Amino acid sequence: MNEDPDPFLPLSPAALHILLCLAGDARHGYGIMQEVARQSDGRYKPGPGTLYDNLRKLMSQGMVEEDRRRSGDDDPRRRYYRLTSFGRRVLAADVERLKSVVREANLRLRGPHPRRA
Amino acid sequence: MRTLYKYLVRLHPPAFRREFAAEMLWIFDEAAESEGALSLCFDGFVSLARQWVLRSGSWKLAVAGMGACVQITAGGLIFLLLGQARGGAELQTHHASGVALSGLMRLIVWLVGAIVLMVIGASLWVRSFIARRMERAPGRYSLT
Repeated sequence: MNEDPDPFLPLSPAALHILLCLAGDARHGYGIMQEVARQSDGRYKPGPGTLYDNLRKLMSQGMVEEDRRRSGDDDPRRRYYRLTSFGRRVLAADVERLKSVVREANLRLRGPHPRRA
Repeated sequence: MRTLYKYLVRLHPPAFRREFAAEMLWIFDEAAESEGALSLCFDGFVSLARQWVLRSGSWKLAVAGMGACVQITAGGLIFLLLGQARGGAELQTHHASGVALSGLMRLIVWLVGAIVLMVIGASLWVRSFIARRMERAPGRYSLT
Protein backbone atom coordinates (compact mmCIF):
# COMPACT_ATOMS: atom_id res chain seq x y z
CA MET A 1 0.00 0.00 0.00
CA ASN A 2 1.33 3.41 -0.99
CA GLU A 3 1.71 5.52 2.14
CA ASP A 4 2.48 8.79 0.40
CA PRO A 5 -0.68 10.86 -0.26
CA ASP A 6 0.97 13.24 -2.76
CA PRO A 7 0.51 11.08 -5.91
CA PHE A 8 -3.26 11.11 -5.27
CA LEU A 9 -3.53 14.90 -5.09
CA PRO A 10 -5.45 16.89 -6.13
CA LEU A 11 -8.57 14.83 -5.52
CA SER A 12 -11.41 15.12 -8.01
CA PRO A 13 -14.49 16.98 -6.68
CA ALA A 14 -16.44 13.72 -6.45
CA ALA A 15 -13.64 11.92 -4.57
CA LEU A 16 -13.19 14.88 -2.22
CA HIS A 17 -16.90 14.98 -1.38
CA ILE A 18 -17.09 11.22 -0.86
CA LEU A 19 -14.06 11.15 1.45
CA LEU A 20 -15.46 14.13 3.34
CA CYS A 21 -18.78 12.32 3.80
CA LEU A 22 -17.05 9.27 5.17
CA ALA A 23 -14.73 11.23 7.48
CA GLY A 24 -17.37 11.24 10.19
CA ASP A 25 -18.99 7.86 10.09
CA ALA A 26 -19.54 4.81 7.89
CA ARG A 27 -22.33 5.37 5.36
CA HIS A 28 -24.15 3.42 2.69
CA GLY A 29 -24.26 4.55 -0.95
CA TYR A 30 -27.55 6.43 -0.74
CA GLY A 31 -26.41 8.06 2.51
CA ILE A 32 -23.28 9.29 0.75
CA MET A 33 -25.35 10.72 -2.12
CA GLN A 34 -27.61 12.59 0.30
CA GLU A 35 -24.69 13.88 2.36
CA VAL A 36 -22.83 15.12 -0.74
CA ALA A 37 -25.97 17.00 -1.82
CA ARG A 38 -26.27 18.50 1.68
CA GLN A 39 -22.59 19.49 1.81
CA SER A 40 -22.80 21.28 -1.52
CA ASP A 41 -26.19 22.90 -0.81
CA GLY A 42 -27.72 20.79 -3.55
CA ARG A 43 -25.32 22.08 -6.22
CA TYR A 44 -23.63 18.72 -6.70
CA LYS A 45 -25.67 15.54 -6.74
CA PRO A 46 -23.74 12.52 -7.98
CA GLY A 47 -25.91 9.70 -9.32
CA PRO A 48 -25.38 6.06 -8.33
CA GLY A 49 -23.21 5.41 -11.40
CA THR A 50 -20.83 8.27 -10.62
CA LEU A 51 -20.82 7.39 -6.93
CA TYR A 52 -19.93 3.73 -7.37
CA ASP A 53 -17.36 4.46 -10.06
CA ASN A 54 -15.58 6.75 -7.60
CA LEU A 55 -16.09 4.41 -4.65
CA ARG A 56 -14.58 1.56 -6.62
CA LYS A 57 -11.53 3.67 -7.47
CA LEU A 58 -11.13 4.87 -3.89
CA MET A 59 -11.40 1.30 -2.61
CA SER A 60 -8.78 0.07 -5.08
CA GLN A 61 -6.50 2.91 -3.94
CA GLY A 62 -6.97 1.88 -0.31
CA MET A 63 -8.70 5.08 0.80
CA VAL A 64 -12.12 3.55 1.45
CA GLU A 65 -13.09 0.10 2.67
CA GLU A 66 -16.32 -1.75 3.25
CA ASP A 67 -17.65 -1.74 6.78
CA ARG A 68 -19.10 -5.19 7.43
CA ARG A 69 -21.06 -4.14 10.50
CA ARG A 70 -24.79 -3.77 9.86
CA SER A 71 -27.88 -3.54 12.02
CA GLY A 72 -30.53 -6.28 11.96
CA ASP A 73 -33.26 -4.33 10.18
CA ASP A 74 -31.01 -3.18 7.32
CA ASP A 75 -31.91 -3.93 3.71
CA PRO A 76 -29.48 -6.74 2.71
CA ARG A 77 -28.64 -4.80 -0.47
CA ARG A 78 -27.12 -1.99 1.59
CA ARG A 79 -23.37 -1.93 2.04
CA TYR A 80 -21.56 0.47 4.32
CA TYR A 81 -18.29 2.18 3.50
CA ARG A 82 -15.76 3.86 5.75
CA LEU A 83 -12.57 5.84 5.44
CA THR A 84 -9.25 4.07 6.01
CA SER A 85 -6.42 5.78 7.87
CA PHE A 86 -4.68 6.29 4.52
CA GLY A 87 -7.85 7.86 3.10
CA ARG A 88 -7.97 10.19 6.07
CA ARG A 89 -4.38 11.28 5.43
CA VAL A 90 -5.07 11.90 1.74
CA LEU A 91 -8.16 13.92 2.65
CA ALA A 92 -6.20 15.97 5.20
CA ALA A 93 -3.45 16.63 2.64
CA ASP A 94 -5.98 17.77 0.04
CA VAL A 95 -7.72 20.03 2.55
CA GLU A 96 -4.34 21.62 3.35
CA ARG A 97 -3.78 22.13 -0.38
CA LEU A 98 -7.19 23.74 -0.70
CA LYS A 99 -6.47 26.01 2.26
CA SER A 100 -3.37 27.35 0.53
CA VAL A 101 -5.42 27.88 -2.66
CA VAL A 102 -8.02 29.84 -0.68
CA ARG A 103 -5.29 31.89 1.06
CA GLU A 104 -3.76 32.78 -2.29
CA ALA A 105 -7.16 33.59 -3.77
CA ASN A 106 -7.99 35.87 -0.84
CA LEU A 107 -4.69 37.71 -1.20
CA ARG A 108 -5.21 38.30 -4.90
CA LEU A 109 -8.87 39.23 -4.68
CA ARG A 110 -8.23 41.74 -1.86
CA GLY A 111 -5.40 43.40 -3.79
CA PRO A 112 -5.80 46.43 -6.11
CA HIS A 113 -8.25 45.94 -8.95
CA PRO A 114 -6.65 45.70 -12.39
CA ARG A 115 -6.63 48.99 -14.26
CA ARG A 116 -8.34 49.32 -17.58
CA ALA A 117 -5.96 49.78 -20.47
CA MET B 1 -38.76 3.00 -15.74
CA ARG B 2 -37.36 0.61 -13.14
CA THR B 3 -37.16 -2.12 -15.76
CA LEU B 4 -35.16 0.20 -18.02
CA TYR B 5 -32.80 1.02 -15.16
CA LYS B 6 -32.48 -2.66 -14.28
CA TYR B 7 -31.42 -3.45 -17.84
CA LEU B 8 -28.99 -0.53 -17.88
CA VAL B 9 -27.39 -1.90 -14.71
CA ARG B 10 -27.32 -5.41 -16.17
CA LEU B 11 -25.45 -4.16 -19.23
CA HIS B 12 -22.52 -2.91 -17.12
CA PRO B 13 -19.24 -4.89 -17.22
CA PRO B 14 -19.50 -8.09 -15.13
CA ALA B 15 -17.01 -7.05 -12.43
CA PHE B 16 -18.79 -3.74 -11.78
CA ARG B 17 -22.22 -5.39 -11.97
CA ARG B 18 -21.32 -8.09 -9.45
CA GLU B 19 -20.06 -5.51 -6.99
CA PHE B 20 -22.63 -2.72 -7.24
CA ALA B 21 -25.73 -3.78 -9.21
CA ALA B 22 -27.85 -4.67 -6.17
CA GLU B 23 -26.98 -1.41 -4.45
CA MET B 24 -27.68 0.67 -7.54
CA LEU B 25 -31.12 -0.88 -7.83
CA TRP B 26 -31.72 -0.31 -4.14
CA ILE B 27 -30.81 3.37 -4.55
CA PHE B 28 -33.16 3.58 -7.54
CA ASP B 29 -35.97 2.19 -5.38
CA GLU B 30 -35.19 4.68 -2.61
CA ALA B 31 -34.46 7.76 -4.69
CA ALA B 32 -36.71 7.45 -7.77
CA GLU B 33 -39.37 9.70 -6.25
CA SER B 34 -37.10 12.38 -4.82
CA GLU B 35 -34.40 12.47 -7.53
CA GLY B 36 -36.56 11.57 -10.52
CA ALA B 37 -36.47 8.22 -12.29
CA LEU B 38 -35.48 9.86 -15.57
CA SER B 39 -32.35 11.50 -14.15
CA LEU B 40 -31.35 8.21 -12.50
CA CYS B 41 -31.77 6.42 -15.84
CA PHE B 42 -29.67 9.08 -17.53
CA ASP B 43 -26.99 8.58 -14.87
CA GLY B 44 -27.20 4.82 -15.47
CA PHE B 45 -26.72 5.35 -19.19
CA VAL B 46 -23.69 7.63 -18.65
CA SER B 47 -22.28 5.12 -16.18
CA LEU B 48 -22.74 2.31 -18.70
CA ALA B 49 -20.76 4.22 -21.33
CA ARG B 50 -18.09 5.20 -18.80
CA GLN B 51 -17.59 1.65 -17.53
CA TRP B 52 -17.34 0.09 -20.99
CA VAL B 53 -15.45 2.81 -22.82
CA LEU B 54 -13.12 4.19 -20.15
CA ARG B 55 -12.80 1.61 -17.40
CA SER B 56 -12.96 -1.79 -19.11
CA GLY B 57 -10.22 -1.01 -21.63
CA SER B 58 -12.46 -1.79 -24.62
CA TRP B 59 -11.38 1.51 -26.13
CA LYS B 60 -7.89 0.05 -26.53
CA LEU B 61 -9.34 -2.71 -28.71
CA ALA B 62 -11.33 -0.20 -30.76
CA VAL B 63 -8.28 2.06 -31.22
CA ALA B 64 -6.14 -0.95 -32.17
CA GLY B 65 -8.74 -2.03 -34.74
CA MET B 66 -9.01 1.48 -36.18
CA GLY B 67 -5.21 1.78 -36.27
CA ALA B 68 -4.98 -1.52 -38.12
CA CYS B 69 -7.60 -0.39 -40.66
CA VAL B 70 -5.78 2.91 -41.23
CA GLN B 71 -2.48 1.09 -41.70
CA ILE B 72 -3.96 -1.40 -44.14
CA THR B 73 -5.69 1.34 -46.13
CA ALA B 74 -2.61 3.59 -46.20
CA GLY B 75 -0.33 0.68 -47.07
CA GLY B 76 -2.63 -0.45 -49.87
CA LEU B 77 -2.92 3.06 -51.33
CA ILE B 78 0.84 3.60 -51.21
CA PHE B 79 1.39 0.23 -52.85
CA LEU B 80 -1.04 1.08 -55.64
CA LEU B 81 0.34 4.59 -56.16
CA LEU B 82 3.92 3.35 -56.25
CA GLY B 83 2.94 0.62 -58.65
CA GLN B 84 1.19 3.11 -60.95
CA ALA B 85 4.03 5.63 -60.83
CA ARG B 86 6.77 3.10 -61.41
CA GLY B 87 5.34 0.82 -63.93
CA GLY B 88 2.24 2.41 -65.39
CA ALA B 89 3.41 2.02 -68.92
CA GLU B 90 4.77 -1.40 -68.18
CA LEU B 91 1.45 -2.46 -66.71
CA GLN B 92 -0.39 -1.19 -69.74
CA THR B 93 1.80 -3.21 -72.04
CA HIS B 94 1.67 -6.23 -69.82
CA HIS B 95 -1.99 -6.27 -68.88
CA ALA B 96 -1.72 -9.77 -67.49
CA SER B 97 0.84 -8.72 -64.85
CA GLY B 98 -1.50 -5.84 -63.80
CA VAL B 99 -4.28 -8.32 -63.19
CA ALA B 100 -1.85 -10.44 -61.19
CA LEU B 101 -0.84 -7.38 -59.15
CA SER B 102 -4.44 -6.48 -58.24
CA GLY B 103 -5.09 -10.12 -57.37
CA LEU B 104 -2.04 -10.16 -55.12
CA MET B 105 -3.15 -6.91 -53.51
CA ARG B 106 -6.61 -8.34 -52.84
CA LEU B 107 -5.06 -11.46 -51.32
CA ILE B 108 -2.84 -9.35 -49.02
CA VAL B 109 -5.81 -7.23 -47.88
CA TRP B 110 -7.89 -10.35 -47.20
CA LEU B 111 -5.04 -11.99 -45.29
CA VAL B 112 -4.36 -8.93 -43.14
CA GLY B 113 -8.09 -8.46 -42.52
CA ALA B 114 -8.40 -12.10 -41.46
CA ILE B 115 -5.43 -11.73 -39.09
CA VAL B 116 -6.93 -8.58 -37.53
CA LEU B 117 -10.27 -10.34 -37.05
CA MET B 118 -8.55 -13.36 -35.52
CA VAL B 119 -6.63 -11.12 -33.10
CA ILE B 120 -9.84 -9.31 -32.08
CA GLY B 121 -11.69 -12.62 -31.67
CA ALA B 122 -8.85 -14.15 -29.65
CA SER B 123 -8.67 -11.06 -27.40
CA LEU B 124 -12.40 -11.20 -26.70
CA TRP B 125 -12.24 -14.94 -26.04
CA VAL B 126 -9.30 -14.53 -23.64
CA ARG B 127 -11.15 -11.76 -21.78
CA SER B 128 -14.28 -13.90 -21.36
CA PHE B 129 -12.13 -16.89 -20.39
CA ILE B 130 -10.37 -14.87 -17.66
CA ALA B 131 -13.72 -13.47 -16.50
CA ARG B 132 -15.09 -17.02 -16.16
CA ARG B 133 -11.99 -18.10 -14.23
CA MET B 134 -12.35 -15.04 -12.00
CA GLU B 135 -15.90 -16.05 -11.17
CA ARG B 136 -14.65 -19.46 -10.08
CA ALA B 137 -11.55 -18.27 -8.22
CA PRO B 138 -11.78 -14.53 -7.43
CA GLY B 139 -8.47 -12.93 -6.51
CA ARG B 140 -6.27 -15.19 -8.63
CA TYR B 141 -6.83 -13.30 -11.87
CA SER B 142 -7.05 -9.64 -12.70
CA LEU B 143 -8.35 -7.96 -15.85
CA THR B 144 -6.86 -4.55 -15.08
